[in-house]
Amino acid sequence: MGWHGYLVLWCAAFGTMALLGYGMSLAGVTRAQRTVRVMGRIERVREPRQGSSQRDGIPVVVSFHDPSTGQEFTVTNDGEHGDRISTAWTGREIGVRYPRGRPHAYRFTIDLWANRHGRAWPNFAVFLVYAGLVAVAAIDWGWPWALLGSGVPWTVSGACYVPQNARAASRRIAALTSRTAVEGRVIAVLTDTSTDDDGHTSTSHTPVVAFTTHEGTSVTAYCADGLPDPTNSYGRDVTIHYTPDDPAVFTPDLASEHRSRTSEMVFSVVALIIGVSAVAVGAVAVAR
Amino acid sequence: MTITAGPLPTRTTPGALAGGFLTGGVIGTSLAAFVVGCIIESLPLCFAGLGLSVVYGLLFFLAGVPRRLREAAVVPRTALAMIESLEAVGGEATSDIAVRFDITVAPNDASAYRVEFTQNINLADLPDYRPRGVLVVEYPPDRPWRVRIVKRPTPEWEDRAAGARLDSVPGPAMVSETPGGCALGFLTLLGLLLGAAVVILLFRADLFAQDASARPPSSARPSVSSTSSTTVVSSASATVALGPDQSFLDKGELRRAIDALTKGKGTRPALTVVVQERLLSVVFAPTGTQAPQFDPRSLPYARFPALVDEATTLGVRSPQTWQITAYRLTGSLTIRVGVTGADGAASLEADGRGKVVRRTPAR
Repeated sequence: MGWHGYLVLWCAAFGTMALLGYGMSLAGVTRAQRTVRVMGRIERVREPRQGSSQRDGIPVVVSFHDPSTGQEFTVTNDGEHGDRISTAWTGREIGVRYPRGRPHAYRFTIDLWANRHGRAWPNFAVFLVYAGLVAVAAIDWGWPWALLGSGVPWTVSGACYVPQNARAASRRIAALTSRTAVEGRVIAVLTDTSTDDDGHTSTSHTPVVAFTTHEGTSVTAYCADGLPDPTNSYGRDVTIHYTPDDPAVFTPDLASEHRSRTSEMVFSVVALIIGVSAVAVGAVAVAR
Repeated sequence: MTITAGPLPTRTTPGALAGGFLTGGVIGTSLAAFVVGCIIESLPLCFAGLGLSVVYGLLFFLAGVPRRLREAAVVPRTALAMIESLEAVGGEATSDIAVRFDITVAPNDASAYRVEFTQNINLADLPDYRPRGVLVVEYPPDRPWRVRIVKRPTPEWEDRAAGARLDSVPGPAMVSETPGGCALGFLTLLGLLLGAAVVILLFRADLFAQDASARPPSSARPSVSSTSSTTVVSSASATVALGPDQSFLDKGELRRAIDALTKGKGTRPALTVVVQERLLSVVFAPTGTQAPQFDPRSLPYARFPALVDEATTLGVRSPQTWQITAYRLTGSLTIRVGVTGADGAASLEADGRGKVVRRTPAR
């Protein structure tokens, strides 16, 4: 069996998996579709301890109702329970998902409806089939087809992403500047030390800020960016710009928001140019 | 509160030991198959090695599904517990350190019991854990030794723990890790070695033949090798003739012959390489010649069978003989494949990488 045989086998295997996945999704029997998704409510927020780890998230007590039994559950984000909660205030809604009939296996989720149809794996299988076909084309017809095969989807997705990203960044900055800033305070600096395979130790410091919005919401949040010298920021007073609709979107440094917006745009445009260049070079080489 | 010593957990079962042996065997077999496949240039063997590990991993995963579903369906039980003793056992270089706890667990509706287990605790939280301190733990009711400290209990359990006073239970304590890990590790290693040995034994002929053919001929005199092939080497040319029932299209045969001819003599450039069913001829370039020449080892021998196959599809009915000629008369290396049959001949030309550049079908 030559390369063609193996690539045909590759495409057939992942094509079958994709079809199976889409079939299960249509039949409504994927794990994602059998997952119960409910909105929970943060009932209590505890302050993280100075020097503790940022991995566990801000300690919260969450309540949610199981729709099938109507029973109320009160739980905490102790141990492995889904997405890390990095911004919390009493009354904040937070997604909770769990397998049907097993509310004790709850997981917190920031995006409650992500992958609700269970098509993430079939989509990935289709991507692998596509990669296999591009490999066949590149082997049979030459390297320009590899550039075309990878450059075209790259460019299309980049062309869709760049304007969306620009609009989102503009909206975010407009929202952050729509209200006057509030005073906040660094209530803890969380420390994580890890050691790599070579024995090198690295330490990360994550400040935790607490601020109260003009609407009276007391927010506790990780503030990984925007604070100078985060290691020694414990107890420091900070000025917080926040979005009135969603206090989870905030910054202690508006200037850094502008800088990151510019760098993101430059990165996106460079990525788009790389894609366009790949397509152009591939097309010219094929035409010759 | 009733206080009695609980049962000890079950030890490593023969099934777990057999599973470890099998897993080691599969890892050894697949790794050895991959490596041996690379050495003897057998793509199917490489893929078989990879496929075996993938299939075994899949089967292992599927076999564990019922158990995992059963375990996941069990609602964990929460209980108060009291620390009898604790000891740091490792992980000082990170924020978390492994702490070995010996605690008394006091469930509401069952007998209290002692258990030992290890859990990572953040350095900042370590002062919360002291001997005689009360904490909240969680465990599956069917495996009470798999205790986990609840670092962030719900307000209800937090209040219970704040006002609780528990009594110690005398030992022995259950242990959370199943003993017998040493035997399991030994059997896994044994399986790994046996698996690798089986693959090497099965393919020893190919491996050793490769070694034998890689050995340079001792002199330029005609020599008859132990296999049914004849090698004649002189300063100007070399030929290798295979015995009956052999072909240079057999897997790796051509590469072995070329390696045997060129090894130990430095890089001897060739003017022409001609391959037929059982005959290989190399004409070496005379020293100081200006004629276009090439390294005979650089030819894409692995592509030769496919090129011959392709040439036979160019309209020759009943193909009888084939010949591959590699030369470099026009500057670039050319591989010409000719096939003759009862009613005509066809040929194709490929470049130095074995890519077909011209086809001349039979007329």
